[in-house]
Amino acid sequence: MIIVNYIASVVLIALGFYVIVSKKHLIKIVIGMSIVDYGINLFIVSTGFNEGGTAPIYKMSEFFRGSYFVDPVPQALTLTSIVIGACVDAMALSLVIKLYKQYHTADSDEIRRLRG
Amino acid sequence: MMSYIHFPVIAMMTLFLGAFLTVVFGRKSQAVRVFLALLSSGIAFCLICALIKPVLIDGEVISYWMGNWSPVEGYAIGIGYEVDALGLFFALITVFTVLLSCVYSIRYMERDSSLDFYYVLFLMLSGSVLGLVLTGDVFNMFIMIEIMTFTSVGLAAFRNNRAGSVEAGFKYLVIGSLGSSMTLFGVAILYGNCHTLNMAQLSSILAGKLTPSTVMAFALMFTGLAVKSYIVPFHTPAADAYTTAPASISMVFSGMVNKAGVYGMIRLTYMIFRAMDKSSVQLLMVIFGVITMFVGVTMALAQHDFKRLLAFHSISQIGYVITAAGLGSALGLTAGLFHAMNHTLFKGLLFLCAGAVFYATGTTNLDRLGGLSKKMPKTTICFLIGAFSISGLPPFNGFASKWLVYQAVYEKAVTSGNIFYAFATVAAVVVSVMTLASFIKVTQAVFFGQLPAALEDTREVPALMRLPMWIMSCLCVLTGVFYDQVSKWLLMPAANATLNVSDYIDKMMGEGYAAGAGVVNIPAFAPRFSFWNPVLWLLLFVIVLAAFCLAIIGSKGDRAQISAAPEDAVDGKYATFFSGEKSLPSHVSGSDLFWGFKKNWKGYFKVMDDIHSGRVNDYALYVVAAAALVTVFMFGFVR
Amino acid sequence: MKLKDGIKETNVVVKSGADMILPFALVFGLYVILFGTVSPGGGFQGGVMVASACLLLYLGYGYKATANMINREVLEVNEALGAIIYVLLAACGLFMGARFCQNVFTDIGKVGDLISAGTVTFMSFAVGYKVLTGVGFLLLLMLYLLGDDDEEEEVEEE
Repeated sequence: MIIVNYIASVVLIALGFYVIVSKKHLIKIVIGMSIVDYGINLFIVSTGFNEGGTAPIYKMSEFFRGSYFVDPVPQALTLTSIVIGACVDAMALSLVIKLYKQYHTADSDEIRRLRG
Repeated sequence: MMSYIHFPVIAMMTLFLGAFLTVVFGRKSQAVRVFLALLSSGIAFCLICALIKPVLIDGEVISYWMGNWSPVEGYAIGIGYEVDALGLFFALITVFTVLLSCVYSIRYMERDSSLDFYYVLFLMLSGSVLGLVLTGDVFNMFIMIEIMTFTSVGLAAFRNNRAGSVEAGFKYLVIGSLGSSMTLFGVAILYGNCHTLNMAQLSSILAGKLTPSTVMAFALMFTGLAVKSYIVPFHTPAADAYTTAPASISMVFSGMVNKAGVYGMIRLTYMIFRAMDKSSVQLLMVIFGVITMFVGVTMALAQHDFKRLLAFHSISQIGYVITAAGLGSALGLTAGLFHAMNHTLFKGLLFLCAGAVFYATGTTNLDRLGGLSKKMPKTTICFLIGAFSISGLPPFNGFASKWLVYQAVYEKAVTSGNIFYAFATVAAVVVSVMTLASFIKVTQAVFFGQLPAALEDTREVPALMRLPMWIMSCLCVLTGVFYDQVSKWLLMPAANATLNVSDYIDKMMGEGYAAGAGVVNIPAFAPRFSFWNPVLWLLLFVIVLAAFCLAIIGSKGDRAQISAAPEDAVDGKYATFFSGEKSLPSHVSGSDLFWGFKKNWKGYFKVMDDIHSGRVNDYALYVVAAAALVTVFMFGFVR
Repeated sequence: MKLKDGIKETNVVVKSGADMILPFALVFGLYVILFGTVSPGGGFQGGVMVASACLLLYLGYGYKATANMINREVLEVNEALGAIIYVLLAACGLFMGARFCQNVFTDIGKVGDLISAGTVTFMSFAVGYKVLTGVGFLLLLMLYLLGDDDEEEEVEEE
């Protein structure tokens, strides 16, 4: 287990939360959402690491009890999560383009028609 | 034919397949789109109803491994779908809501353009919620939550030519994405600890052994699923999104998407972590529930928009469900599930009536509506049934479930001796009274009172839109009168299935697994309703209604004709007469019926108005701050 | 966010760079999709690489030329077709009497061949096709939205 990866992922997630909470420009908020996603992806893929293990690709003849490999399940989870992160980015940026055309500003202080 | 174990997966895949087929074939012709949507929803409804007999009546748990990857040496290696009574209860609510919304949107959406996007997003939303309640794998649940979030954003921002739609969609996306990210983080921590993603296996590993990292996972998943159920302080995007979405979609949001979050929280606390016997977790959920109830209903009293008011009431009623489900007792869980089902029925009905008003008049602003009962009488009757149900008047279903909630919270206060639960009982009753007050205000503002001149030529809505409203009204009355049948066939199997996880675990992982992990069975439970006879109450209600109608008809002769307000009237809503000189009308409109209450509580309403500032950064701050508080609470008190 | 008009006439260096890289991107992406079950890669990764062809065309030739070469409507329909093929392949398990998504083509080919892993191979092809059309459509849509921001949006008030 790699300590540096875990610390880095938590720092990324905390930074992402800070950007979403405090930055006013809409595209910066979208970037903050992406940073949170990348931090979580780093965390997931680091949970599957086994020190000194090989890649989990085997023929049936070479596979026996006691073969030591890296966990493949978190790799599949990370792949799915990367796809979802890309889709969130695409959708959020499309909404920002539409908002800019309607409100002529990308400042979250001005985009407050629904309140109270 | 194939055996019924395939039905859950086929039902979910039919909805997704319908969405994809609509993209290919439904680009030009509305008839093809409507046909595909009705066909997919109808097939899913029939398949889920066919599962009632094995699961609810015979008490069987259907476990289905995708690709037939059964567990190897006690470790789950495949994705499992598990349908027990709790999952089927929520699945029935889901497919019923989807079918009715589909029928309603045939006429309601005919004036909008690009309807192929609407049907694609709608079918994918339905498929994802159905997949969420039927799955037995934690990561699969996260994927379904993400599909649900994306399609909801698309549908909330659908009418992007109206003010505020795209803004509501953007805020929904930011807050929803925060919630899903926290859920994913929790799932990743759980996987790192237990090396499995199957709910049944997690349930047998995690119970009673709470290490610091699993407590962190619990806190993160709890907050993530709470964001999806829109309890305070995560409710802010819901208020915006329910307002701007089309009414058939608002009904689906408040009836189905909310319940998916509640289902997730019940699964998490009752089955995966089995933490509901700890008093600290119960206290946490009840605190959330009470704050939600109160904030929801007080914010609703100050609104000027019809659908935003209904959205805040929806948030408040979910507070009831969370309070009841968080009590940890079997009676509380039954009350919570009953109120969840009733909330779908009456809140769906209210949103459909709001949609009918919008279709007929083109506005939902309370200051510009009024006197619509003369032009739309059938909608008025349906709205009144919904309003009486939500306020908890007998003999409708709201009374039965709210009475059960009061009883459950009171019993908890007595058995545990904690003063907070007594306070929660009082809060529940007070919120119910304020709900009634708010609905009197809305009924007066929209349906009674004076008809503005601009709305002179509104007509009743088409029959295809009235059909779902009538179906829901009849069900509101029936589930209120025959509450013991509902309890026996639907609620008791669901509550018993939630509390007895050993059956769930055994069916998925193999016989004897649960006993080996130390899971103990609780004997079957039957809720005791207080003694009241609903048929007598119904008779009393009918007699009073008949007397009222006789009084109106009898006095029609000597009552002056109230015509529409003249064009040059300054305010247009002089019908509300409070006191003082009759010749000097008061300048208070019908939507401001509780102006005295609002004036007395001016400080509180000002604070609430500032909190709901509309800035997305503030809303994200509430989510992150509440997540931090929940984490600190869990590390401090949950052992 | 206004694009200058000059970006439509790119210079020779960018255009010839796009010309040279484009066939490599297409072929390599197709290789990653097809051999997804034998070597690292698979549907999503290869699909995104092939969809980057849209971006390369835009960088080299501008939006009008790209829109003439690639039709957005066709991409949208094909994306749904890819998804339908995926669902039908997964339902093959149901038609052959086993569970949903079960591997029912187990005796086709040996280990190490192109088509050797059963249903998963075909599902990977379907996913790759869906991703390449889907991401391509997404890129083209965003470029279209950015292209004409001369028109103002009218919003209805309540």
